[in-house]
Amino acid sequence: MIGAFLKRARKDGGEGSIVVDSARKATGGRTRTRVVMTMAVFFGIYAVIAGRLVYFGFQDPDQSGPPASRVTAARPDIVDRNGEVLATDIKTSSLFAEPRHIVDADEAIEKLASVLPEIDYEQTYRKLKSGAGFVWLQRQLTPKQQAEIMQLGIPGIGFRTEKRRFYPAGSTAAYIVGLTNIDNQGISGMEKYIDSQGLSDLQLSGLADPKDLKPVKLSMDLRVQHVVHDEVSAGLERFHAVGAGAVVLSIKTGEILAMASVPDFDPNNPYNAQDKDRLNRMSAGLYEMGSTLKSFTTAMALDSGKVSLESRFDASRPLQVGRQTIHDFHGKGRVLTVPEVFIYSSNIGSAREALAVGIEGHREFLHRLGILERMQTELPEVARPTEPKVWKQVHSITIAFGHGVSTTPLQTAVGCAALMNGFLMEPTFLMRSVQEAMETAKRVVSDKTAQSMRYLYALNAEKGSGRNARVPGYRVGGKTGTAEKVVNGRYSKGKNFNAFVAAFPMDDPQYIVLTIADEPQPEKPGMGATAASNAGIMAGNIIRRSAAMLGVKPDFSHENAATLVSY
Amino acid sequence: MFRTSDIILIAVMVSAAAMTYAIKRDAEEQQALVRKLQVQIHTEEDTINLLKADWSLLTQPARLQKLVERYQAQLGLEPVDPRQIVQLQDLPMKTLTIEDLTGGKMVDNDKNGKDETVTGAVR
Repeated sequence: MIGAFLKRARKDGGEGSIVVDSARKATGGRTRTRVVMTMAVFFGIYAVIAGRLVYFGFQDPDQSGPPASRVTAARPDIVDRNGEVLATDIKTSSLFAEPRHIVDADEAIEKLASVLPEIDYEQTYRKLKSGAGFVWLQRQLTPKQQAEIMQLGIPGIGFRTEKRRFYPAGSTAAYIVGLTNIDNQGISGMEKYIDSQGLSDLQLSGLADPKDLKPVKLSMDLRVQHVVHDEVSAGLERFHAVGAGAVVLSIKTGEILAMASVPDFDPNNPYNAQDKDRLNRMSAGLYEMGSTLKSFTTAMALDSGKVSLESRFDASRPLQVGRQTIHDFHGKGRVLTVPEVFIYSSNIGSAREALAVGIEGHREFLHRLGILERMQTELPEVARPTEPKVWKQVHSITIAFGHGVSTTPLQTAVGCAALMNGFLMEPTFLMRSVQEAMETAKRVVSDKTAQSMRYLYALNAEKGSGRNARVPGYRVGGKTGTAEKVVNGRYSKGKNFNAFVAAFPMDDPQYIVLTIADEPQPEKPGMGATAASNAGIMAGNIIRRSAAMLGVKPDFSHENAATLVSY
Repeated sequence: MFRTSDIILIAVMVSAAAMTYAIKRDAEEQQALVRKLQVQIHTEEDTINLLKADWSLLTQPARLQKLVERYQAQLGLEPVDPRQIVQLQDLPMKTLTIEDLTGGKMVDNDKNGKDETVTGAVR
């Protein structure tokens, strides 16, 4: 190209006028040399630039600056049925410094101290003088502090934002909401459920934009949840129990409005979440439910058609089965009607009811009510109930009064809800309307049986063991259950598992409240430690405090009507 | 040497260059503004999130219960008794008295036996 240019210059000169030609001659060949020189200079400059670029390209960049940002995946908020936040992502900024780029460490510390008065001078000075590439100075600043530090204009420091999962409700709803790990993945409770519903796939593909994630609405009501948590925590202390728990379940929809189990943990600081006693006793704990299972025995007998409310069972003598003898705890020593068997919680009467139905019918009924199936719900922490491999007569008899099978308290509550309503609904922790619930509901007992069971529950709260749970105006019905715990293969006299299942209002049951107390002691020496004196009191307190929030209207007009019917 | 058309073309060229520069400059400024606003929006969103969390922390039933217990005596707070919850139709009708019908403005005969003059025309 340069050659062509020179050639053309020569050619131009050759064909130009004489004046021009002589002018060219007057300057001699110098023009051409100048052009060439100029070009050489420019080539030189560009060559140096290109060479320098290549040199930089091959050099490793300076190893400083903060470590690569951890990809913290966005998660949707979790809110309760009224929209109260239960779990949310919040951004916090952390302050770091690059000591190599710090000009004057003393000045930097002095300035920082004006915003962060609690900063450790000596330690920070050592950090800033260390010559390291990167040091953390302060984690999790408030936005105000961050802005103020920004205003100071110190060279060599910077911020890194970090996302953190925050649970405003703390331990109140710890077992339902669950936990996330350091990578913001759900590891328990509903957090884990959300991940299994496709969130983790979204996060992997990088599509989990925090703005697109709709809050997950739970069926839980935070106010009721607080009442339940407060009462079981108080109960744990008052009755010196190892554990306590309660659930409030909607009979019409199967929604769980509140569920708490203590001891629990603070999800904002879950250092003890893995401890052995930190177990969601309501859904992951297996217990022999004791006399509360008599509800099912009675319902089964009534539903089979072989027994009516007027039927009588001989409970005058202990029942001999093989080598075992069945006694009554509150023995009456006479023939009892079905309502009497229920309110006096007669083991002999219940056993005779089971005998009337037969082994296979008994087993089928408990499976039909889902007492012995693994519960299908959103919460991942669900235990599988245990039952004898082969049912013999002795099993049927002990199971009739609640020993010999282990199930979870939540499942028992769901079964009791089915007895009140006639329909079995899978419990859910997400919002569900009555219509949606009825679509999947299974009819398990007849309306007549459900009606009889409602009558028996109301009667038991009026005359039987459920009196402690009575709340004026809210027509509570219920059944106690005191089961002796198995210690070293034998039923222990001193260690009980107590449960109380309550339904209210009894004229049209809306809610089931089931409370448990694991190994409660008498509140004061000399007082009782049966279910009525601890689990029953807890249930009563929960209903008293939460009924108005649950939308149940108090009604005093037929306070004593239930008992007037037949007694 | 220069023809008019050359001058015009040069003028057009220069003005085109000037315009391009101005537009580009303007666009850059606008972009900077957009970026600034985006950062602001982002900060505001984060602040909103933080405040929401703060709000739910402050309205926690557990916290409110503690406050209620502390100020119970001072404010005379009591738990609601179920008997206090009634429907409107459960309230008994208030019995009518003569004062209700007259609006409480009965003639006070004790003063001087005359109505008070309100028009100001006759005395």
